[in-house]
Amino acid sequence: MPNTIKIAMLLGLLLLGGCGDPPATQNDVPVKTYKHAMDGAPGSLDPAQSASLYANFMVVNLYDTLYRYKYLARPYQLQPNVAAGLPEISDDGLRITIRLKPGVYFMDDPAFAQGVGRELHAHDFVYSIKRHFDPASRAQGAWLWQNRIEGLDDWKVAGSDYDTEVEGLRALDDYTIQITLIQPFPQLIHTLTQAYAAIVPREAVEKYGQMLSSHPVGSGPFRLDSRNDTRAVLVKNPDFRKEPFDLEDEGYDPASQADLGLHVLQGKIPPFVDRLEFEFITEDAARWNAFSAGELDFIKVPVSQFDHVLSTRSPLKLSPQLGERYHFEASPESGFIYTNFNMADERLGHHPDPHQASRNRALRCAMVKAFDWEKRNEIFFYNIGRVFPGALAPAVPEYDPDADISYNRRDVQGAIELLQANGWNENTLPTLDYGFPNSVTERQIFEQFRNFMMDAGYPSSKIRPMIFATYGDYQRAYSQGKVALINSSWTMDYPDAENLMQLYYGPNASPGSNSANYDNPDYNRLYEASAAMSESPERTAIYRQMNQMLIDDCVSINGISRTLLFLWDRNIIMKPDRSFLGGYFMRFVDLAEPSRAAP
Amino acid sequence: MMNDTWQRLKSDRYGMGGLMVVAAFAFIAICVWSGLLGQGWSEVSGNRWESASASHWFGTNLLGQDIFQRTLFGTATAFEVGLIVTLCSTILGALLGALSGWYSNGWLDEVILWIKGVLDSIPFYLFAAAIAYALQGNTWAMHVAMIVTFWTTTARIIRGEVIRIKQREYIEAAQAIGLPDLLIIFRHVLPNTFHILLVQASIVFVAAINTEVILSFLGLGIQDGVSWGLMLAESSQEVLAGHFGNFIAAGSFLFILLMGFNLLADSLQDAVDTRRVIQ
Repeated sequence: MPNTIKIAMLLGLLLLGGCGDPPATQNDVPVKTYKHAMDGAPGSLDPAQSASLYANFMVVNLYDTLYRYKYLARPYQLQPNVAAGLPEISDDGLRITIRLKPGVYFMDDPAFAQGVGRELHAHDFVYSIKRHFDPASRAQGAWLWQNRIEGLDDWKVAGSDYDTEVEGLRALDDYTIQITLIQPFPQLIHTLTQAYAAIVPREAVEKYGQMLSSHPVGSGPFRLDSRNDTRAVLVKNPDFRKEPFDLEDEGYDPASQADLGLHVLQGKIPPFVDRLEFEFITEDAARWNAFSAGELDFIKVPVSQFDHVLSTRSPLKLSPQLGERYHFEASPESGFIYTNFNMADERLGHHPDPHQASRNRALRCAMVKAFDWEKRNEIFFYNIGRVFPGALAPAVPEYDPDADISYNRRDVQGAIELLQANGWNENTLPTLDYGFPNSVTERQIFEQFRNFMMDAGYPSSKIRPMIFATYGDYQRAYSQGKVALINSSWTMDYPDAENLMQLYYGPNASPGSNSANYDNPDYNRLYEASAAMSESPERTAIYRQMNQMLIDDCVSINGISRTLLFLWDRNIIMKPDRSFLGGYFMRFVDLAEPSRAAP
Repeated sequence: MMNDTWQRLKSDRYGMGGLMVVAAFAFIAICVWSGLLGQGWSEVSGNRWESASASHWFGTNLLGQDIFQRTLFGTATAFEVGLIVTLCSTILGALLGALSGWYSNGWLDEVILWIKGVLDSIPFYLFAAAIAYALQGNTWAMHVAMIVTFWTTTARIIRGEVIRIKQREYIEAAQAIGLPDLLIIFRHVLPNTFHILLVQASIVFVAAINTEVILSFLGLGIQDGVSWGLMLAESSQEVLAGHFGNFIAAGSFLFILLMGFNLLADSLQDAVDTRRVIQ
C-alpha cells in the first residue's frame, strides 16, 4: 500500500509542520542590533494612520513628535522632544505657544530638493495636524483634536485646502507654533506625544501619496531599511540630532533601576544601537520559541508561559533559572479589557419605550451578574489581572481602590431571578452576536463567555460567534453597529482619566471611540462640564459619579487590567515600555557587549 | 457487477480493515447526531488542563472542557463536512463531466472545460481561503469553497469515461432509435460510471475531512462548534506548556480515520477496476 504510506507520512509532516522554529540568519557584520518581538504587525507607517500599537512603536522611531514622555520617570512625565521646552500657556488656558529646537533635519530622501533632508519647521507640524482633517489622507487621529482647535473643523468643512490658514493652528515663524483652543484642553500636550502627532514633510506626502505608508520620511532616530509582513528593519539615522543622554533628566531612579545597568548610558548620544529589528510573530508559541532560542532580545511573555516563567505569583518573581539569562519586569496595563453591550441595538440597549428600556437594562445587568471575573482572570490572565468596576481603571489616580466590587462578583441565582422578574425566558431572549477577530484565544474567550451565560439560562444557540478575519474587519463591523456584544480592549493614549471617560460620551458613539454607543444625557453633561478640568479632587468626584452611572446602567461587562510580563536578554541595557512611552524607549536601548552579529 | 466488486473487496484484508475503521467512525458520528454522544463538547465540566481520568478520558483543555467529548463531536463535524462536500461535488462533477463528455468538442464542452481550467489554475488553499473570507461569517463558506474546487477532478474523470462509453454499440443503438440525449446520458451512460464515482467519492471524502481540518486550523473553517482542526489549533498554544491532550486526541482520530479511508479507497479502486484485478 505505497499510496497509503505516502499519505500517512505527508499527514505526519503536515501535523508537525507548525512546530518548527523560524530559521535564524547570521553573518559576521559587527553592528549593534536590538531584536524586538511584537504580537502583531503595523498596517501603515504613515503617522496619520498609525492607529495600532504596532504602528505607534515604529512611527515614533521614524518620525519626531513635539513631546514624548521621560524614559525612566514613573509616573510618566512629559519631556520636550523637538519642542525646545514645555509650552507657554496663556492665563485663560486657550492659547498655547510652543517653540521648536533649531537644527532638526528630515532624513535625506528624493522627496527633497537634491535629495537632501531640510530643516524641520513649525509649518511642518501645522501641516501634519491638518492632514488628520483632510479626508484624502485617510487619517484616523482627528478625534484627538476634533472640536478643540479654533477653526480646524471648519477648515475641513471648507475643503481642506492646505494653503488656507487655520486660525487656531499657526506657524508664527519657522520655530514657533501657536495653538488657539475653543475651550481649555489640559490633555493637549499629551496628544502631541502620540504617533498621530508625528511631523511629516509636505514634500514627502506629495511625492509618495498613499505610499507614504510604506516609505516613511521623518526626522526620527532611525530610518526604514526593509519591511514585510513578518519583519521590519530600521537602521540608525546618522543625521539624528546629537543630544547627550542625561540620566537625571530622564527620571532615573537608582533605587529601583540600578540593576538594569542604565548608568553606562550617561552622556552618550542616542540612538545607541545600529539596527532595530522588529519581528511580527502573532502565534504565542512561535514567538516564545524564537525568544528561547536567542533569536529575539525582548518578549512580552505569553500567558501560556507564565507558569514556566514565574516562581511565585505573589509577589511576582522570575524563576531563578531564567533570572540568570534575562531581566524581568511586571508592568500593569494602562487600559483594560471589556465586553460592551451595543446600546444602539434596541433588543438590549437604549429603547424609546421606558418599559422595554427597563427590561433591556435588566437583561444587561443579568448578563453582568452571570459573568465570572474570577474564572476569566484565572484562565486567561493567570490570576494576576486586576478586576475593577466601571471604566476607571487602576492605571489612573481617579481609580477608587475601595469601590464596591459587587458589580464584578458572580451571582448566577441573582441573574436568573432578574431575568425571570423582567419576563425574559429562553423564548424571549434575543439572539446576540458576539464578535471577535479570528484567533484561538479569542474563540476560547467566546466559549467561556457563552458558558457563563448558559449557567444563567441563556440558550447556547442564542449567543452566536461572529468571527472576523482581522481585528481591522472586526473594528469596522462594531464601528458600524453590526455587533451586539463587543469584546475588546482599550489602551490609554495618554495618562489622564479623561481618555477613559470619553469612551462612553454620547457624541463619541460609533464610529468614534464609544463603541457601546452609550448616550446618557446626564453622563454627557458631566463629561462636558469636566472637559476643561485638569486632574483635581473636584474632577475625581465627577469621574467617580460618571463611573457609577456606567455601573448602574450595566453598559458594559468591565473590566480587567492585565499585568504584562516582560523578559529581555541581560546583554540588553534598557527599560522597555508598552504603555505611554511606547516605542520611544528604543532610541535608548544599548548592548552590554560592544558588538553583535547581525544579518 | 456490484456483487463481484464486494467479493473482491471482502477478500482484501486491508480494505476490510479500512472499512471497519470508517464504519466505527461513522457509528460515532451517527451517535453524535442522534444526541447520544459528545453533547457536552462546549460545557465546562472540569478544571483547566486536567489529566486523563475516569471522568475525563482524554483530560480537559484550557477552559476545563472535556477533550473526549470534543473529539467525538469533531468526528461528527468531519463526517458532516465529508458527506455534504462529497455528495455535492460528486453530483456536480458527474453531471458536468457527463455533459462535457457527451458533447465533447462542442461549445458546452468548451465552456465547462474553461471553467474547470480557471478553477484548477488557482492554488487550492488560496482559493478556499478567498471564498471562506468572501463569505465571512457564513456557516457554509467552507463547504462552498470545497465543493467549488473538488468537482473538477470528478468531472474530468467522468468526461473521459463518457467519451469512451458513447462509442459503445448499445449507445449507438439508443441514438439510432431516437432517444433524447439527456435520457441516454442519465439512463445508459451515468449508471455505467458508478464504479468510478464510488472510488472518486471516497477520495473526495478524505480530502474534504483533511481540508476541513486545515481550514479550521487556519481559522477559516468551522464557525460555531468544534472540529479536530480547531483542537489542533488550540494545541499549538498548549504543547509548549506541556499539555498534549488536544494534540494527541485530535491528531490520533484524524490519523486513524484518514488511514482507514485511504485503505478503503485503495482497495475499492482495486475491486472495481477489473483490469487491475487481472494484472
